Amino acid sequence: MGSFRVLVLAGVIAAITGGAALAAGSGGGGGLDLPSDSGPSYDPAEEYAKALAALNARDYRAAARSAQRVTQAVPQNLEAWKLLGAAHAGAENWRGARRAYERALRLAPEDLSVRGGLGLALARLQDPKAQEQLDWLRAKAAACGPGCDAAQLRSLTAELEQALAAPASPGARLDQPLILADAGDAAYLDAVGLINEGRYEAALVSLDAARAAFGPHPDVLTYQGFAHRRLGRFDTAEGFYRQALAVAPDHRGALEYYGELKVERGDRAGARRMLARLEQACAYGCAEAETLRSWIETGGDPGR
Amino acid sequence: MDRNRRRSGTLSRVRAGVGLALALAASGALASDTPEALRAMAWLAPDADPAVALGRAPTECLRLPDDPARVRSIEIGRAAFRDPLLLGGQAARAGLSCESCHAGGRDNPDFRFPGLSGAPGTADVSTSLFSRVRGNAVFDPLPIPDLAGPRAALKTPPEALPAFIRGLVVEEFDGAEPPEAVLRGLADYTAALTPDACPAAQDGPVTLAGHLSDARRALAAAATAPDPQTAARMISSARSTLFLIDERYRALPTETRALRAAAARLARLQAAARASAPNLARDIDVWILDSRRLERRLAAREAQSLYAPSRLAGLSRNGGVEGKRAGP
Repeated sequence: MGSFRVLVLAGVIAAITGGAALAAGSGGGGGLDLPSDSGPSYDPAEEYAKALAALNARDYRAAARSAQRVTQAVPQNLEAWKLLGAAHAGAENWRGARRAYERALRLAPEDLSVRGGLGLALARLQDPKAQEQLDWLRAKAAACGPGCDAAQLRSLTAELEQALAAPASPGARLDQPLILADAGDAAYLDAVGLINEGRYEAALVSLDAARAAFGPHPDVLTYQGFAHRRLGRFDTAEGFYRQALAVAPDHRGALEYYGELKVERGDRAGARRMLARLEQACAYGCAEAETLRSWIETGGDPGR
Repeated sequence: MDRNRRRSGTLSRVRAGVGLALALAASGALASDTPEALRAMAWLAPDADPAVALGRAPTECLRLPDDPARVRSIEIGRAAFRDPLLLGGQAARAGLSCESCHAGGRDNPDFRFPGLSGAPGTADVSTSLFSRVRGNAVFDPLPIPDLAGPRAALKTPPEALPAFIRGLVVEEFDGAEPPEAVLRGLADYTAALTPDACPAAQDGPVTLAGHLSDARRALAAAATAPDPQTAARMISSARSTLFLIDERYRALPTETRALRAAAARLARLQAAARASAPNLARDIDVWILDSRRLERRLAAREAQSLYAPSRLAGLSRNGGVEGKRAGP
């Protein structure tokens, strides 16, 4: 596993510096290839899809293997850690589930399903810290107002109470809802329309649903970045653009929008670097490069 | 909005639909997300036969007038009509041009775009998917009109065409404001499409020679364009047309390299046009001259490319030719 970790890290570093997303396997054996240049390589979005399919088929070990690869390639991706946690929980690997949910919690402290998943793992490990998660969920339920998912809170709280009451009983695991690609498609289309309508917060909700179906898909990540940027959350936007480019270094949308963000921050040199990468990726010209060029020339949104 | 009616396909189709991710072809996202061998397959109706829909095209019903200035304007419009970069927003990112819906200036009964079309040959042009301005929250696709059909069916009188077309480009498709000469050219081009000018043959084969001819016509329009912005747009159209050749030669790396080198020269010409550099017309002439040699080289392998009907017949959705991945 150690060498695999090196491989993935090498791939991510290459992606960040503009190289390939993941190191391509050479078959290994001699020559000047580094060890991390040989062996298998993984596409995070493809692995996420495999993990999801395995989870839906209740093949939890396969789900965990694929989800693990996603978390190694894109460690900032919340959905990957949640999926890994769910897969470990399905396989009743409670230590693994706890570790995955703890990582997810660092990325999203307010996520209800992460709190529930972590609480359940801790309960099954008979760790008294499970009570902290139950208390958190109860407090959330008590303060649940508009926009709060009361039904999910009730369900999570009940599951966790049951697990704490009988931690060794079989079947004390959160129901894993089936997540289907079609639902992700519909959510994604909704998000695009909502973005064009300027309804960015609503678009982010749809994009969350799409992300649950597709994981670290660069299209989804790019639009998450775009919506956050339009809402003025530049740092958050940048995080999503960087994730998208880590998965697909030549992603035209991510390069364009990241370049626009740099214009908005007054970093024209950085924007020009994005444009240079775009021009390299668009041998025959593309709208993304043309739009970013206009942004750089006008110092902002040329359509406003 | 009746969003549920938009549901269709996998993210690969959605992706093509919203156009963010042609670059994704290089990264291969989801297992079901294999890039189409030809971009236009992303908006091909499921029941359409790719060999027919992508191997043949309607003949153009174009009547050129005697007035040379008018002919130059029509040629500007003809090139802009074929350039996805005329449009903006998601349409341009998906690679859609006017010609995608109006093949040869006609209609396109095989057009079915995820989230945009109902039945094949229809499009909802008032959708938020493409427009920040004209989204009407109703899924109401309409038949794509034949621009070379009877004038009365088109409803827009010739004198109103520039304003009408500007509305399509800027509002319906979120495009940037086109140069005046491009708008005038589009109006002149569409007005010159007439049923009286239709050739006897209703359609003809899509060929390398045809695409290269389109590219050269766009460049000739650039050489005589009235302003630098219009010239740059014309060169953009020629570059876009080279892409249509490239994607049919992807299994032939030597030819693809030659095409990309030619495209790189066009990119430099486009930058020169934007900068109002001197000698643009001369440099364009040199490119056109050199393109004859490129054409001979490509034509020698046309039978192995996706221009060949036999190769097109082996084309499968999401993945190239009979197991041979048509990747770069």
